[in-house]
Amino acid sequence: MSCVFSRELLALHAENDLPESEGRIVARHLLECPECEGFLDRLSQRQSQLKLLRLEAIPQSTLTRMRRGVLSQIENSPQSLGWSVRIERTLWLGFRRHAFVLSSLAVVVVSATLFAQMRQTARPDTTAATKQTAVFADANTLIRPAGYRDWISVGSSMRSNIPDAHSLANASSGNSHNIYIDRAAYRMFSLTGKFPEGAVLILETSGAAGKQPIALQASVKDSRFDGGWGFFNFTGADGTIKDKAESLGGKSSCRTCHEERGKSDHVFTQFHPALKTAT
Amino acid sequence: MKGIEIMESGANNSDIIQGTLSMVRMPGAVISPETAEIAQIVRLVLAGDTSSFEYIISRYERRVMNIAMRILGCHDDAHDAAQEVFLRVFRYLHRLDLEKPIEPWLMRMTVNVCRDLGRKKLQHPSTSLENAPSESMTTSSTDNPYVGLAEEQQRQMLWKALACLSENERVAIVLRDVEGLSTAEVAAILESPEVTVRSRISRGRLKLKEIVDRMSKGPMNGGAL
Repeated sequence: MSCVFSRELLALHAENDLPESEGRIVARHLLECPECEGFLDRLSQRQSQLKLLRLEAIPQSTLTRMRRGVLSQIENSPQSLGWSVRIERTLWLGFRRHAFVLSSLAVVVVSATLFAQMRQTARPDTTAATKQTAVFADANTLIRPAGYRDWISVGSSMRSNIPDAHSLANASSGNSHNIYIDRAAYRMFSLTGKFPEGAVLILETSGAAGKQPIALQASVKDSRFDGGWGFFNFTGADGTIKDKAESLGGKSSCRTCHEERGKSDHVFTQFHPALKTAT
Repeated sequence: MKGIEIMESGANNSDIIQGTLSMVRMPGAVISPETAEIAQIVRLVLAGDTSSFEYIISRYERRVMNIAMRILGCHDDAHDAAQEVFLRVFRYLHRLDLEKPIEPWLMRMTVNVCRDLGRKKLQHPSTSLENAPSESMTTSSTDNPYVGLAEEQQRQMLWKALACLSENERVAIVLRDVEGLSTAEVAAILESPEVTVRSRISRGRLKLKEIVDRMSKGPMNGGAL
């Protein structure tokens, strides 16, 4: 065909499917284009043949067979519906309005999420905390925890009354104590008032000038040690901070003092505001 | 020659077409007696009277089966599709808005089931829409609109041409040209914009004409059609 008029428009015009304005444009074109008029005639002829398909009908016997099949399957409807559809139907019929059904579903989802979150918070994974914080090279040797400065800082000697044993650092000398506890242990202590197995506390002593610590000690709650706590000193004889430290055995001064003066399970919670307020 | 069965109920062609056209009503209209009657039946079914569901099936089975037949082109598939449609209707009957006619909802479900079935067939091809319905679809009758060999060939060609259309085009053509719904009604059933539906219809008609023209000029037909 040489005429470039839109065949798509002609196809729609054949059954009056065009909006009025476009229909008028097509009608005007057809008046002056015998080629398109012929095309439309042939298309309309095919359309008439196509419409004859609607006269074909399904035999009654087939319909009856189909109907029996459906009815036999829904005879035991409560079982065949499935629990999700039954719940949906109960809600739907109960409220009869979609908005209420959606609101109910939203409430259920939010409640379930909150419940799951509360359960998660109430039962922190203490095993995971042990794995992340207290890592032992062997039975008695603790590897210096990395990143302890990102833990919870529970107190500083500049504002609290640290026992005499730690007196190498004090406000007058310009040194300071900083005590950190790992996050999982802190969460557990906040909830229960007890330190979980694997809890790690770090005592870091910083000098006035440098940013590096001049002394580093740790206590780990571990039932393998006397009194349930192991004490470790990472400070070397030459003043450097070691990567590993052995447990201070027997009645070390750390253990004795903590046993006698620690208010809560060998820990000086009475001096650390964060631990006092946590419980 | 294979005949075509017109309705056993004795309804004439104009009744059928009129019935077809009146099946879909646009939303917003005053509740019709038919809608009110169906609402009554639906309430009974939802209250546990499953036997009342037979009334809904018997009322709409022919229409559902016809649409499925025209979309799928295979009698067995149409039977399976119709069965699945009514099972879904039964399962989700509570979702039906009782103030609106059931037909658009039913037809939307029919189209969706046919699409699902068509996709499964693509994965596991066994029968094809290209096999035009024959014995199972029709019976001998002097009312056959395709009386004569040429007409029967014409009918076969139309079925094959329908099979060559894309799924979207075929559904649009079946609903608009074979079922006789308006483009607005087709758009409402397919939940597509009217302009999209018009585009599918125009492409479908042009393709259909082109395919049938090509078949008619084939050596077997000698260009007679």
